[in-house]
Amino acid sequence: MEGRAVIARATKTVVPRRPRARRSLYLQYLVEPFAYLSPAIVLIGTVILIPLIIGISYSFQSIELLRPFDSGWVGFENYAALWSDRKFWIALENTFFWTFWSVSLQFLLGLGLALLLNTQFFGKRLFQALVFLPWAVPTFLSALTWAWLFNPVIGPLPHWLADLGILSEPYNILGDPELAIWGPIMANIWFGVPFFAITLLAALQSIPGELYEAAEIDGASAWQTFSKITLPFLAPMIAITVMLRTIWIANFADLIFVMTGGGPANSTQILSTYIFTTAFRKLDFGYASTIAVALLLILLIYSLIVLWLRKKLIKI
Amino acid sequence: MARIQLNDVKKSYGDVNVLRDINLDIQDGEFIVLVGPSGCGKSTLLRMIAGLEPISGGDFMIDGERMNDVRPRDRDIAMVFQSYALYPHMDVARNMGFSMEIRGDAAEERKSKVAAAAETLGLSKLTNRLPKALSGGQRQRVAMGRAIIRDPRAFLFDEPLSNLDAALRVEMRLEIARLHQKLGATMIYVTHDQVEALTLADRIVVLEGGDIQQVGSPLELYERPANKFVAQFIGSPTMNVVPVEGGAGGITLAGSKLTLPHLGDTSAAVELGIRPEHIDVVAPDQGMLKAVADVVEHLGSDTNIYARVEGIGPMMVRVHGNIPARSGDLLGLNIQPLNAHIFAADGTALRRADAIAA
Repeated sequence: MEGRAVIARATKTVVPRRPRARRSLYLQYLVEPFAYLSPAIVLIGTVILIPLIIGISYSFQSIELLRPFDSGWVGFENYAALWSDRKFWIALENTFFWTFWSVSLQFLLGLGLALLLNTQFFGKRLFQALVFLPWAVPTFLSALTWAWLFNPVIGPLPHWLADLGILSEPYNILGDPELAIWGPIMANIWFGVPFFAITLLAALQSIPGELYEAAEIDGASAWQTFSKITLPFLAPMIAITVMLRTIWIANFADLIFVMTGGGPANSTQILSTYIFTTAFRKLDFGYASTIAVALLLILLIYSLIVLWLRKKLIKI
Repeated sequence: MARIQLNDVKKSYGDVNVLRDINLDIQDGEFIVLVGPSGCGKSTLLRMIAGLEPISGGDFMIDGERMNDVRPRDRDIAMVFQSYALYPHMDVARNMGFSMEIRGDAAEERKSKVAAAAETLGLSKLTNRLPKALSGGQRQRVAMGRAIIRDPRAFLFDEPLSNLDAALRVEMRLEIARLHQKLGATMIYVTHDQVEALTLADRIVVLEGGDIQQVGSPLELYERPANKFVAQFIGSPTMNVVPVEGGAGGITLAGSKLTLPHLGDTSAAVELGIRPEHIDVVAPDQGMLKAVADVVEHLGSDTNIYARVEGIGPMMVRVHGNIPARSGDLLGLNIQPLNAHIFAADGTALRRADAIAA
């Protein structure tokens, strides 16, 4: 009897009231989220998207400061000119060469340094501070320093290279069209190794120590431990840092601009220096934007491939 | 299958001695549990046996062979880690078969061995999952599978159940016991949980402050603890220890005499230890001690009474079954003389006469 009374009471309290006026689904799900996001959207729009769109729009215009009355929309004229521009193709090839060797050597040396810094040895702290130093030096300064190092009159490098038999005589490799690109690449390696060392060291230190102990008990040799435990763990960090550095280095004009200015005979001209000289020496902003868009597309495709690979291969 | 011997094994970090002169002779197929409070050096000792920590002194032998400086991979020992240490980027099958992969065994052999181990541990349906997609208990099983597959001379367990919830812990405890019966391998197991120690071990090694306090079977430790530390560490609820006055013919406890014939000369006695389950509750005027029940816990199978004893202080009493005691009741308590333990000033237990005879 008492049970029934309880049920009766319960029923009474749950009698549904009239629903409150509901906001329309449209407002709730389509508009409201964007209202909350609007500060971020406005910021990203003004800082990134609008300049990007303006930049791309320049590539379809003729904007030459030296011919101010000729400016206006030209359609794909700039792109047609780019296609038949021999200098562009040379710069593109140089960009691949410069980026590939800079990134891979920076990565390998950085990984080596990170592995070394992940062990214990005397004077590690001092060594660590020294390793990270180049990253803090202004690029302009390091470019000048390296240019002088390669100068046979005041720098030691050509003499050392000659003594080692790499050069037939101590001349300035920055003046040799065959070898000039290696000057900035060496400066770039010196400058960029710390970045890889820092990031990979951080990733190394995040690997749980027990995994190495478990592998040791499982009988893994040093190489097996490295290839089967360390590398898979580093892979996400490697993918992201290599991608970032590739983009930066492909866009990195400072070292080349200061050390060789793109010469001799365009042998060190990469796309970003070509963009820079086109825009600020020839003052042809339309054509410079066209080259920039081409570089943007190449890097975009590259990034998509790296991200796809990362998703495909990395399980952690 | 291995006999493991530790002769005067030491461990020190600089000036700090973590383990002092550890002597142990572990028989082939024995299940040894190292137990002690945190910081007592039990995990360090296990890691020294595994080869993950260098041994500072003494001899460590497996089957009569000195192993002090042999690398872990050549000791032929498997270890289950507290955190399982599964390789997060490998699926269950590869995790379990990793040692064979390292050795370069044929893929088919590896597959069949992994399948057999997975079958034993009830993991057959999970072999292509990554560790992150497994529950705690399943990860634990994979870690054990990884050890089983190697068919090692000895298994080491480093607090393998401490990351599991209570129900799963009981289940996995049984699983480990079954595994030991099935494989008959030498196992060394580290835990701070005395229930695990008492249920699993053939022999328990109680460690404290870098020294072995006592080695013995679970019952031996319960019935004949060598000192006050072991007495209070083993057994739940904890043994009551109260100060007494010693005498040649017996001890004096809160003004009343108690003769302990099985202990012989008790003149060195300083403290008396009595387990809660070895105190009888009688009518208030009949007991040797008078007490007031502070808190009474009715557990169904047992009744725990936290009593305040006249002239002594708090004591815990456990009575089998349900008794109608309530808090505030006056009780009489009788200590079962044959189950009393007597400790000297340095904490060592007076040896029982029957133990000496035996």
